[in-house]
Amino acid sequence: MLKIDHLTKAYGEKKAVDDLNLHIKPGEIYGFIGHNGAGKTTTLKSVAGILQFDQGEILIDGKSIRTDPLACKREIAYIPDNPDLYDYMSGIKYLNFIADIFGISAADRQARIRQYAGLFELTEDLAQPIAAYSHGMKQKLAIIAAWLHRPKLIIMDEPFVGLDPKASHQLKGMMRDVCDEGGAIFFSTHVLEVAEKLCDKVAIIKGGKLIRSGAMEEVKGDDSLEEVFLELEGEVC
Amino acid sequence: MLNVLLKKQLTEIFRSYFYDPKKNRARSKAGIVAYFILFVVIMAGFLGGMFTFLSLSICDALAAVGMDWLYFALMGLLAVLLGAFGSVFNTYSSLYLAKDNDLMLSLPIPVRVLMTSRLLTVYLMGLMYSLAVIGPAIIVYWLTVGVSAGVIFGCLLLVLLISVFVLTLSCALGWVVAKISLKLKNKSFITAVVSLLFIGGYYFFYFKAQTLLQDLLANAAAYGAKIKGDAYPLYLFGRVGTGDTAAMLAVSAVVFALFAIVWAMISRSFLKIATSSGHTARRVYKETAAKQRSIFGVLLSKEMGRFTSSPTYMLNCGLGIFLLPVSGILLLWKGGAIISTLNEVFGARAGCVPVLLCAAVCMLASMNDMAAPSVSLEGKSLWIAQSLPIKPWQVLRAKLAMHLLLTGIPVLFCLACMAVIYPYSAVDLFLTAFVLLSYVLFSALFGLFLGVTTANLTWTNEVTPIKQNVGVLFAMLSGFVCSVVLCAGFMLLGGWKMGFAGYMALFGGVTLALCALLWLWLRNKGCRRFASL
Repeated sequence: MLKIDHLTKAYGEKKAVDDLNLHIKPGEIYGFIGHNGAGKTTTLKSVAGILQFDQGEILIDGKSIRTDPLACKREIAYIPDNPDLYDYMSGIKYLNFIADIFGISAADRQARIRQYAGLFELTEDLAQPIAAYSHGMKQKLAIIAAWLHRPKLIIMDEPFVGLDPKASHQLKGMMRDVCDEGGAIFFSTHVLEVAEKLCDKVAIIKGGKLIRSGAMEEVKGDDSLEEVFLELEGEVC
Repeated sequence: MLNVLLKKQLTEIFRSYFYDPKKNRARSKAGIVAYFILFVVIMAGFLGGMFTFLSLSICDALAAVGMDWLYFALMGLLAVLLGAFGSVFNTYSSLYLAKDNDLMLSLPIPVRVLMTSRLLTVYLMGLMYSLAVIGPAIIVYWLTVGVSAGVIFGCLLLVLLISVFVLTLSCALGWVVAKISLKLKNKSFITAVVSLLFIGGYYFFYFKAQTLLQDLLANAAAYGAKIKGDAYPLYLFGRVGTGDTAAMLAVSAVVFALFAIVWAMISRSFLKIATSSGHTARRVYKETAAKQRSIFGVLLSKEMGRFTSSPTYMLNCGLGIFLLPVSGILLLWKGGAIISTLNEVFGARAGCVPVLLCAAVCMLASMNDMAAPSVSLEGKSLWIAQSLPIKPWQVLRAKLAMHLLLTGIPVLFCLACMAVIYPYSAVDLFLTAFVLLSYVLFSALFGLFLGVTTANLTWTNEVTPIKQNVGVLFAMLSGFVCSVVLCAGFMLLGGWKMGFAGYMALFGGVTLALCALLWLWLRNKGCRRFASL
């Protein structure tokens, strides 16, 4: 579903991501962890086609994000760490905007909006301007918008930040549903307990380099993910 | 603490002078100096030059009959009008809508310090515009009449008093707009309408002032006596410039007292307004039948939504939408008199009048520069356009289409009005339409070119990309330059030798050629630049 080969991205002299390789198969929830500034967001933005990278290749369902960005973007959805949406639109206008871009039929979008907005208890607020939304409501709206076109790959940067416990629970369920239907999830998080319980695989990045990746059980062994992560951080330091 | 906040505000205002977004690094010293020189040339050369000319024409006449105070009163009033016009629309958004209000209020910063730092930008804007009037007026007075210690002190105090009075007016109107915004639906439009009424009033008094000015010069003594009797504060205001100590004390006391009252008024309500969500009754969503739209349609609708959501955007970049139809109607109403006056002055050379009419419409159309800040206004939401399966060109084309629609339709209305009052032949009308529409296309493309090349996505107040952006300034000036070139080329540079039709065909053709170059740049390099923002 997602193949990252030798990805390198530098800002000036500093390499934010350095020769990163990662392979995500259909049906996998892949966690991406690392300290602040490790290169997680840069990697996720490169996969989403927002950032142009210096070297390497990113293939989504066999298509290159560099040479065929539109085809790739039709297959994916991206949720950033801070949901800066169009404040001047209402929630429903934003969802219709996204649905129109993806060419989702009126009937399908209505059914999906009803389903997901109901799940996140956001239905009544959809007529409100986004400017009036709390951070959590914006995050819920961004999640609904991401799920609207039934993407094969969902890329999320810290998706649980700002969500209430019930919404977090719903999101975890939705993530699992996507994977059960043959999709894949690639997301970053600092909440290692969530990553440990939710992810099939995990990658740990430090200073732009991948220092450990693989199936969750292989990476953590008998320890907790937190212990492994802290140990790896210490080793590299 | 105030110093730190002032530095932050100033850094934000002058960021584009010090920072090159294209190279993502600080500008070179030469670049900074060049930018500041350009700024000074525009302010001092363009606005200052205009008011120097006005000062020269009335200073000597009034000073000769001992009416120096009337000179200062007139120029001071003009300075207040221009200063208020330049800064009044900033107050509401600078004070109450800054995106970092929550952050600032969470820090241990006294509210009055935060307000002071916010109002500094408004003060600077007002000072800049009012200084463009009163500065030349003072220099002309010193050179014509002479200087003394009292006059120097009086003039400097006059500058200070004018700038404080402008700030007071701006704060008062900003407060009124904020209060209205808290209670009303469709507040963007209401704010825009209130502001347009202000602009209408401004122009009404401005044009009246021109007529009054001539009348005043002819009957200076009589009017002077009348002002002393009926508008004594205005007399005292004028006396400040002449160095009258009593007047200086009285006017200073009044101006600072007014400012203190307005300051107390906004201090009392600042926290409430700044932290209010400002929304009226909660609207509950009721599902309605959805309609599927084309990508172009939905992107254009997004741009229109952005434009109509912000009074600051509409008023600063869309004034032509209002002025063009108003001018068209004015033409229908007073067109006969205007054409005959133009014929009297320029009628000796065939083609001058229709060229002037066409240039005037171009000038009005240049008040629309909504394409220029549209890229910067994407701000932190740019990730949406970048992560969706749409080409950069589709996003840019929607911005172009917004500009073309919002400018093209009023221009065509104006053209129809021109056709009613001026006896164009079919060919001449077609060529006028050709020049006007190619100009509209040029202004949209050039504005977007500037928008892409001078994009600033890291603003905390939308006034920054809309009003304090080099690209927007250039976009507006390019319209003025284009109009001047259209007139000057025909009347002064021998264009008349080609005849109206030949000249208009050439001008329209050159404009279209420039459009083609800009189009190619935007389609290729512009798209790449936009994608990498």
